[in-house]
Amino acid sequence: MDFKRIEVIFLIVFFSLDIFLFLSFRNSQQLVSSTSTNTSTVAEMRKRNISFGSLDSKSGYAYYLGSQPNDDLEENSSKLQDQKVEYEEANHTLASTLDSPISVTSSNRKKIMDEFIKKEKNILYGKNYKYAPQLSSQSQMVYVATSNLGDVYDKTNQLIFTISNGEVLGYTQTYIRSMIILHERQSIKSEKDVITNLYANSEIPNNSKIAYANLAYTKLLEAKGSTIYIPVWFVTIKNKDSKVSTTKKVNAFTGNIIKSSANGDSSYNAQ
Amino acid sequence: MKFSRLIVQVLLVIAVITSIVLSFFIWTNTARYQRGRNIDVTDAETNKNEIPMNQVISPTSVMWHDEDEQYLIYNSNENISLSIQKIMQDWKIGSPKLVTKKDGAYYQKVIQAKNTIQMVYPTAITTNVLGYLLNNDSLKDEDGKKFNRILVNLKDKKDQNIYLANDNNYAVYKAKVRNASAGPITKLVKKANINLKIRLDIMKHGVFTSYANPIKLQSYSYVVNGKKDGEYTTALFDSNANGLVTTEDNGVYSYNYGESKRLVSDHNTDELTFTDYTDTSVPKNQLAFLQRGYQKVINLQDSISNLRLYNANWKNKDLTFREYVEGFPIFKKSQFGSIEIKFSRQGSTEHFVNTVLEVPVPSNQAATKLKSTNDIFKGLQKAGFSLNDIEGLEVGYQWETEADNEKVVDLKPTYYIKIDGHWKAYEDWTNQTAEEE
Repeated sequence: MDFKRIEVIFLIVFFSLDIFLFLSFRNSQQLVSSTSTNTSTVAEMRKRNISFGSLDSKSGYAYYLGSQPNDDLEENSSKLQDQKVEYEEANHTLASTLDSPISVTSSNRKKIMDEFIKKEKNILYGKNYKYAPQLSSQSQMVYVATSNLGDVYDKTNQLIFTISNGEVLGYTQTYIRSMIILHERQSIKSEKDVITNLYANSEIPNNSKIAYANLAYTKLLEAKGSTIYIPVWFVTIKNKDSKVSTTKKVNAFTGNIIKSSANGDSSYNAQ
Repeated sequence: MKFSRLIVQVLLVIAVITSIVLSFFIWTNTARYQRGRNIDVTDAETNKNEIPMNQVISPTSVMWHDEDEQYLIYNSNENISLSIQKIMQDWKIGSPKLVTKKDGAYYQKVIQAKNTIQMVYPTAITTNVLGYLLNNDSLKDEDGKKFNRILVNLKDKKDQNIYLANDNNYAVYKAKVRNASAGPITKLVKKANINLKIRLDIMKHGVFTSYANPIKLQSYSYVVNGKKDGEYTTALFDSNANGLVTTEDNGVYSYNYGESKRLVSDHNTDELTFTDYTDTSVPKNQLAFLQRGYQKVINLQDSISNLRLYNANWKNKDLTFREYVEGFPIFKKSQFGSIEIKFSRQGSTEHFVNTVLEVPVPSNQAATKLKSTNDIFKGLQKAGFSLNDIEGLEVGYQWETEADNEKVVDLKPTYYIKIDGHWKAYEDWTNQTAEEE
């Protein structure tokens, strides 16, 4: 009889042990699943009312590009019609005032100007440029140079229309004939890497919207008479309350945030 | 009565077994949990702005033998060797078996095989290291098999193997490959924009790559960058700058951190030596040897995308890294390359050059046409060296600082020859130019 009682006691003890073991087993499994990283940063950002579209986590490749300044715009400026042009040698910049301003509205200006730049008598090499809403504002429409290597967001290769009171008055233009690849391709940071990194560095405030995240080449430095370009992520963050936008630049090779210096030139900061 | 007792006994047995099974799961599971955390940590590390280990330790030259000739190939827009490594990461490579050893004639046949691509490391690594770099488990367990060439036949469908070859003892290993296709590699070969006709010759001091014809090579220019001593001391000593002793003698600055760490910076030569007397453990295997070397390299310098492992001397526990441009090594004015790391029981030593290549800039120099390797041998013989004296021969880039701009260096190709343990440019050995007139 005693032996039977011992068996029952053992049974109870072992059952409670099983329950305890089962619970701790489940606990440890939950710990495993909670250790995933990047996705949680994204969730945390959403929680802080930062809105953005889906983030591309695929990292691609890009190059160091080089170009040499040229005066093609000056040499061909006689082809332009119905405008008064001036050429500044130092910056290789063509400035033009249109004889008859073009009226545009904020909704149709892209369509009208896309059409306008296609004709050589209006804009030299117009087919090489593409509208960049990220860089544009109410009073400026910025067209950036584009090629099979990618877009260039830089004032050495840009077309900017000045708009005043709903009329396009004129433009300034810079042009680079060709970019050469200086080094074998290198892998670059993905959009997701860059945005989570900006967030981790407190560069993205709460209650804001990531309006744009574009990869483009921009000037790094000048050496030996050439300009060197590197791929940079341009991330525009818009505050939802104040509607103020700021654009952050991130070196796509290293993932470092580029601080702009006072004169607007991105200072060289590869580390 | 009896029946209820039976039930109690059966339940008891079940309860005991369940508890055993559950405890077993918890044991193995906590292990998995801990490993999971480790993976997390390494993930976070690779997210940093680091060049991965399989770029620093990777083959530097790629050779392709078509139906008739053998070529050194390169693509200046895309590194072929890194791209092939990426492709190989998806392959299922079996464990390598020895085919032959010490048979020079057979070895020559292997490295000159037709329709074969071969990737050559500057120094021999082990299959275990390759397994780690390719993240391939079946290679990881194999230790001790050293090789410096990976050969893959791209045409023979029956030959489902890759071959690993070692120049030092003419050993050839063969490993079965599954889940692989030659297509993507053939495509990379076709895209190459530099094709130099070569011949692989076995000579007294190893396998030499001979260029059959004069070769035309580009010059390159780079913006260089260096760090101040203070940046090294903060990174290498524990950030606490107290207790730092500085002495200066003729431009040679010494920084001591107690008795444990010491940095000597020679401002005349731009070379530094860091000794860590606390780092007294010597790596126990080849993988740990290279991993620790890699860790030290990424701690030392920021811009290492051009850096490659150049020589690993297991006997002396000594590693050399060199910068490469377009598949050719750069010989700076220092004797040792860019970074030299030595492990020993007395502490580890890192000897390195401060200046590193940072940003490529267009070169305004014309391409250089170098003599064929045969003419170089003839020139050396004329200067009084016998062929058996030549321990190594390599086309490399010479580092020339611009007089008016010390932030820019020009890299000019020439032949480098190793005699008596020293690498020197052909010009320096013979007083003759290596350029074809």
